[in-house]
Amino acid sequence: MVPAPDRSRIRILNQLLRRLVSGFLTAFAALTLTFFILRLIGTDPVDSLMAQGLASPHQAEAIRIKLGLDQPLLQQFGHYLLGLLQGDLGISLYTQRSVLQTIAEQFRWTIELAFSGLTIGILLGLTLGVTAAWWDGQFIGSLAATCASLLTAVPVAFIGILTLWVASWIMLSGSQVLLPAAVLGLASSGPIARLIYANLQQSLMSPYILAAQARGIARNFRLLWHGLRPVLPPLLSLIALEAAFLFTGTVVTETVFSRPGLGRLMIRAILDGDYPITQGLVVLAAIFYTTSHVLADWLALLIDPRLQESS
Amino acid sequence: MNVSFKAATVITIILILGLSIASCQPQPTPATLRYGLTLAPSGLDPHIHASAELGIPLHSVYDTLVVRHPESGEFLPSLALHWDISTDGLFYTFDLRRDVIFHDGSRFDAEAAVANFEYIIDPDHNSQKAAAMLGPFKQAEALDPYKLQITLEEPFSPLLDSLSQVYLGMASPDALAEWGPSEYQFHQVGTGPYRFIEYIPNDRIVLERYANYDWGSAIYQNKTATLERVEFLFYEDEATRALALERGEVDIIGEVPPQDALRLSQDSAYKLLTVPIPGQPLQFFFNTAKSPTDDLIVRQALQYAVDRSRIIQTIFGNLSPVAKGPLSSYPFATLMPDHAQVSDLAAATSRLERSGWVDSNGDGIREKNQQDLMIDLIVPPWGSNPETAQLLKVDWESLGAVVNLEVVPSFGTLKQRATEGNFHAIGLNFFGTDPDLLRSFYLSDGVYNWSKFQSDQLDGLLRQGAIDRDMAMRNDVYRQVIDLISAQALILPVRDYVNLIVYRSSLSTPQFSAQGWFPHLIDLEFES
Amino acid sequence: MKQPLAAWISVGWLVLLIACSGFLPLILPNGPYDPIADPLLPPSSQFLMGTDALGRDFLSRTIYGARMTLSAGALAATITIFTGIMLGLIVSTSKGWVDRVLLGLINATLAIPGLLFALLLTASMGAGFRTVIVAIGFGLIPGYARLVRSVFLQVRNEEFVTAARSVGLTPMRVAVFHILPNAIRGVATFSALHFSWAIMGITTLTFLGLSGDPSIPELGAMLDAGRQYLPTAPHLAIIPGVIISLTILSIYRISEALSA
Repeated sequence: MVPAPDRSRIRILNQLLRRLVSGFLTAFAALTLTFFILRLIGTDPVDSLMAQGLASPHQAEAIRIKLGLDQPLLQQFGHYLLGLLQGDLGISLYTQRSVLQTIAEQFRWTIELAFSGLTIGILLGLTLGVTAAWWDGQFIGSLAATCASLLTAVPVAFIGILTLWVASWIMLSGSQVLLPAAVLGLASSGPIARLIYANLQQSLMSPYILAAQARGIARNFRLLWHGLRPVLPPLLSLIALEAAFLFTGTVVTETVFSRPGLGRLMIRAILDGDYPITQGLVVLAAIFYTTSHVLADWLALLIDPRLQESS
Repeated sequence: MNVSFKAATVITIILILGLSIASCQPQPTPATLRYGLTLAPSGLDPHIHASAELGIPLHSVYDTLVVRHPESGEFLPSLALHWDISTDGLFYTFDLRRDVIFHDGSRFDAEAAVANFEYIIDPDHNSQKAAAMLGPFKQAEALDPYKLQITLEEPFSPLLDSLSQVYLGMASPDALAEWGPSEYQFHQVGTGPYRFIEYIPNDRIVLERYANYDWGSAIYQNKTATLERVEFLFYEDEATRALALERGEVDIIGEVPPQDALRLSQDSAYKLLTVPIPGQPLQFFFNTAKSPTDDLIVRQALQYAVDRSRIIQTIFGNLSPVAKGPLSSYPFATLMPDHAQVSDLAAATSRLERSGWVDSNGDGIREKNQQDLMIDLIVPPWGSNPETAQLLKVDWESLGAVVNLEVVPSFGTLKQRATEGNFHAIGLNFFGTDPDLLRSFYLSDGVYNWSKFQSDQLDGLLRQGAIDRDMAMRNDVYRQVIDLISAQALILPVRDYVNLIVYRSSLSTPQFSAQGWFPHLIDLEFES
Repeated sequence: MKQPLAAWISVGWLVLLIACSGFLPLILPNGPYDPIADPLLPPSSQFLMGTDALGRDFLSRTIYGARMTLSAGALAATITIFTGIMLGLIVSTSKGWVDRVLLGLINATLAIPGLLFALLLTASMGAGFRTVIVAIGFGLIPGYARLVRSVFLQVRNEEFVTAARSVGLTPMRVAVFHILPNAIRGVATFSALHFSWAIMGITTLTFLGLSGDPSIPELGAMLDAGRQYLPTAPHLAIIPGVIISLTILSIYRISEALSA
């Protein structure tokens, strides 16, 4: 017999492992899909190099052999996977530099923007959502709720433009990351606020909260924490989803603010037909997507052990 | 409870980390100039990559064998003190300066120059511009430690012009050998007034003053640079350029949109400088290999239908001159065709009718042999090409044509579309200071012969122009070339390119090299 | 509650927008293509919204732009909804392994950034509205299909469906006549949601300059063109931005009302 606490710990580990495996499978499938889509619908990369005058017909053959494009597709895929296992993502068609290095250079910019953007988004979303639920039916509550829906509906590009416009009045200067992060934060706060609002509103009506109030416990922070606890698991998976979205959501922000980053790298790579970079970005995105989901699941399990039974 | 507090702690830490990233910011030091660039080059090695943008910083990192005077167009000594061209035009001998030290401490001599040429022509290095600028280059050798000889397969008169440009700047052979063609761009070493410090793609390029510099050419006013450090930042998006100045992120920036340039020039805190860029005007090639633009009369009609002064007034606010021909008026004024192209809708209409394009079914679109008059227009996304193309579309549609406009997203796609050949008009223009620039665009097998025009006469003239030594004879040849291009209506030239530079009033007036794009950073300083 | 009122206002906005973009072109004095005055004129009695950077009537461009955005969004959403429901029908009539394979495929596509897919299509099909609509229409399928699948599976397990099956109806018949009608209500709310996402996606792609021809008025492309003139003529970006936002917000509200 295993003692009860250990049993639940084993169950958590078990679940986590299953999610890791299914996450890994998903990432692998995504990578496989893009590998074949890139080869099948994209134009031949070496042809496009030649059309752009970047390679002579004589060099083209050498490039084809260097990249292994003369081999059957399945064999190429095998080679790619082998390289991937050794952390080798190949080299860019245009700059002849390592894909990993190229991505690493831009990664810092995107992660800085995404991270500070998400932080602002969570803080703002929390504030709006709690305000809307706590003062539900009152003016301030409705105002917060309206703001939350508006923020969900306004496209990132427009938030960016409005922010630039306002910043140009008050001549905000200095920090390179604050404005774009604010834009991304505003854009991601809407769904967070609405989720908190909807769930908190419900849990504030739940019998045990009402009972607690009846026992004379004031509507204070402890009560709020009680009300918020059940909201955390769905909130975490929403944040995971947003984190995955941020990876591409930064594209627009990077464009509006002329910022370097992975999004712009991706646009350029795809439009120029630099498929090793595109493929490398998909690997990164899939890893990012999977990790954030597994992480959210794990945190949710830690916070609310009841989920173990239900899932 | 315990677990949830753990989670809360984790979240709090994440939040704090995020905020601290958001709040840290670099503080610029006063002796630093921040220069806004408008395009993040895909590569920065001047011997390998081709963009004009890379020369803006690198012009001050490298010296060239000779320099070209921006006004007179004369060639003046720089790293080479004297030079001599053999009468057959095949041998160029240069006496080099003996006091030049690279930023890494190694000495510049004839062997170093030879190493540069060998690096450029190495086929594995895939040079996109520099190698072609050397023309029929055969070899370079060191006759003695400070005597360099370049040998050509056949005469090539643009050579001195090529040697005066940053693409053929002299780099330290040690650095070239150490880093190789893919990494050298991050570790560049030259002999110029500024040292190359770092390049972070899409983010910044940093230069620092080279204190030992005192071998500058006569074009430079200062012996050494005044500003300690120059940082180049990228503003690819047009809408962000004026803002970058106003928000204090940069001190000087080029290619400011005309509306913003005019607005900022009203403010005493800024100054506007319009710098003409030599080369080709904003232009569109007509595809002579595809109906209906294979018909000269249709091409002429399309030219007549366009009101270029109105286009320029609308888009460039009269800050640009109307283009006269396939080369810009500055510095090629003497080569321009006699009769300038005019806007004349009646002439356009009568020409179309004459060649059989009439609207017989009354749908507002002209037909010939049951085919609608269709014009596929493909343009690149930069340099006001999309705006100009929209107005071309309006003018051509009022003539009774259907115009399909496609703005392609990148240079790569543009070249691809050009090679595929499914277009009637396509936009592209290059910059350059020698009329030989026209060769790759109008030679029958030229790389950029997008008008697909085949003519032995034109080929002969273009080859002749590259060989002729005598300036007057060359000019005569290129006048004929330009007349032929105009008579055949191969292009629609719209406006001569002008770089609108806006800079802080506290900065001294910037000077630019003969190529127009490249600033003399050595002479820039903040006035108190 | 306030919900119905907000929903009615939303319906009102959409009806107004559709009516304007449908009928106003018939009476507008100027078309959206021809330059008719100086560029960047401020709003006046002659040009209610002024002129854009090329001297075109901005009111006219806005109306035509809204029409373009709405119809492109509707077209893309149709692709998504049609394919999604087809997939739902397939899942509810077939064996478990079909469902598992499909679900795996859906999850895998969701891990690929959606924008990447749209850009890939642009690179191979060329920039243009056709590409943008196809990219968004297909790009939204995985997420939509996952929701539809769960609704269909839920309905399939209900009593009346089991009953229909037990009397010997073919699986296809059961799916079309018994599952589909009952799933519609569940599907309607997030179909509306996906319509709003289609509009969001289309305006984002055209904002990034993938619409091919900038002379064709479309709100996302106009937002992009207008932002260059923020200091001198902010309304060129603000008006299209506000219309896009209000439209998306209205569709949200309606989808919420549908789910209530």
